[in-house]
Amino acid sequence: MKQSVKIAWLYPDLMSTYGDRGNVVVLQKRAVWRGIAASVVPVTLETNVKMLLGCDVIFMGGAQDRQQKLAGEDFLKHKGPAVKKMVEAGVPALFVCAAYQFVGHYYKPYQGEKIPGAGIFDLYTEHPGDQAKRLIGNVVARVQHPEELAGTTIVGFENHGGQTHLGAKMKPLAKIIKGNGNNGVDGWEGAVYNNAIGSYFHGPLLPKNPAIADWLLEKAIGHLAPLDDSLELAANNAVR
Amino acid sequence: MAWFDRLTVIFAKSISVVSTTLGLGAGETWPGEIALSIRPDIARFLSGKLSDGTILIAGTNGKTTTSLMTKTIFEHIGDTVVHNATGANLLNGIVSSFIRNTDWLGRVTADMGIFEVDENSLPVVLKYITPKRVVLLNLFRDQLDRYGEVDVIVEKWLSALSKLPKTTEVILNSDDPGIASLGRAVKGKVTYFGLNDPSKYLRVGEHATDSIFCYRCGHRLAYDGIYYSHIGSWRCTKCGNKRPLPTVTRGPRPLQGLYNQYNALAAVAIAHSLDIPENEIKKALRGFAPAFGRQEEIQVGKKTVQLFLSKNPAGFNASLKTVLEMGAKDILLVLNDRIPDGRDVSWIWDVDFEMIPPPVRVGVSGDRLYDMAIRIKYADRDMPLSRVYPTLEDAITMSLKKPLKGNALYILATYSGMLDVRKILKGRKIL
Repeated sequence: MKQSVKIAWLYPDLMSTYGDRGNVVVLQKRAVWRGIAASVVPVTLETNVKMLLGCDVIFMGGAQDRQQKLAGEDFLKHKGPAVKKMVEAGVPALFVCAAYQFVGHYYKPYQGEKIPGAGIFDLYTEHPGDQAKRLIGNVVARVQHPEELAGTTIVGFENHGGQTHLGAKMKPLAKIIKGNGNNGVDGWEGAVYNNAIGSYFHGPLLPKNPAIADWLLEKAIGHLAPLDDSLELAANNAVR
Repeated sequence: MAWFDRLTVIFAKSISVVSTTLGLGAGETWPGEIALSIRPDIARFLSGKLSDGTILIAGTNGKTTTSLMTKTIFEHIGDTVVHNATGANLLNGIVSSFIRNTDWLGRVTADMGIFEVDENSLPVVLKYITPKRVVLLNLFRDQLDRYGEVDVIVEKWLSALSKLPKTTEVILNSDDPGIASLGRAVKGKVTYFGLNDPSKYLRVGEHATDSIFCYRCGHRLAYDGIYYSHIGSWRCTKCGNKRPLPTVTRGPRPLQGLYNQYNALAAVAIAHSLDIPENEIKKALRGFAPAFGRQEEIQVGKKTVQLFLSKNPAGFNASLKTVLEMGAKDILLVLNDRIPDGRDVSWIWDVDFEMIPPPVRVGVSGDRLYDMAIRIKYADRDMPLSRVYPTLEDAITMSLKKPLKGNALYILATYSGMLDVRKILKGRKIL
């Protein structure tokens, strides 16, 4: 088992719109509380790809339009290919909100051209038009994949205009109990590919869903001792 | 058709009075709603009757305090002011406050209007009211589910300001890059207020920063120093865009906290622009009493409660910093997720709770108490179940029952939580 873990946080200054930091904090603390040294490696525009390639876990979050454009250009050209290589090799990763859309094939806004994605996940996102309602609110869902977590109830908050459709290579993360999920139609929320998870649960997904945090960490460092999660589970329960 | 406007006002006023008399509640917004449903442009008629014009104040944080300071100054020099005191800051709230300030002939009985305006409502309010002054304080991320992104608001404001006539003077915070960038859209005079005090620069940047990219060219902004969040002395190293030099940089400091220094500067800038002498401004703000729930001191037996409305990351960081400077040793955090608070509580992860020194006792309550409890836990602070209070009554009683370690119990609460605390401690939510 590894005694230290490096967490890559992609574009902390550009793609950190609403509490995204929570995911990184939770990964780091849950390692440290088990006696495993954990460091956060901020990966942004100026960061060399080598820094990223040396990391054990990847996180990328949500963004405002202007910042997403800046990050997007860099991601497609530099960091994206590296992340793809890492995900293919089984490095655990979490992509939330804008990042979830961005690792797919493309995003089609209601006006203008398709915006290409990094093609790490086999999925695409389309905006149904400016008259369509944004999908906003608390979400409750039951995990389908990864298998180790099947049956776990996860909770979060969604706030997205785009609707995401999964391709054949993807497995859905969870079945919606309350809320909209990927597209408000097929009843799925999120996606899983290798050890990488994508989700519309924006911002802090991991604090109320510690099982997902531990799964990501275990994929990076091996089996972990349990922690007292009574507060986390109380917060999870309160949303159901 | 001024007679019809007046009639509308009299009608709305009558209904409001009858309903208040019958104990159906006065309503801070619905007399205006009634008037607006009859005359959608009634605000134009009403504001046109003010001999000294209207001042509109908007921004994510500080608009209630700034408008109250401004009102205090103008009342001090003898103006009669119509003001939306209870934070009813949409168009219907503004029209409601006018209706309360009319006589039975439908005539406005004030000389001047001073209104705080909701961020999203500013464009629509500007459609009907042409103010003498518009004051824009700051933009922080706040209730993303309701307001949308900061950049989107900047765009909306830019377009609304560009339609104002030359006679409207716009007063802007030079230290907020998004706000300062609005100056280019203004036809009339622009005045900037800001701080010139490098001794107040933060040593380490806060996490909750929004606009660190140039609004002109998109390049990353450089800061000579940051006062808080993204407020500071900024410049773009690529296109040369930089913080405009503020002309209003000093004034009285009636309230604690750097953010209140900005609020006071904004009020002073307004007063200056309308030729109120320095010593009168000073006199007016001496003994200034804060708005309800904003650094409000409440006596409970022999103990003191200090209540701080804290509703978004920038505001929460500012409150935390201020209460720690004031010597807080017992802090109670109240997190609700009702409509006025925003349904999404993700933002608490952008607040730097890590700044709380470990000896300080932290308790949590509110609708989303467990979300707050885990936030504190992951800041590596002690969060025993005995200080996780499912009911607010218990939270307050239990926190005040044990001897306080410091000079007061400091309660930091979101909007509806703040009202609930007041209800418990003062028997009423507002005034």
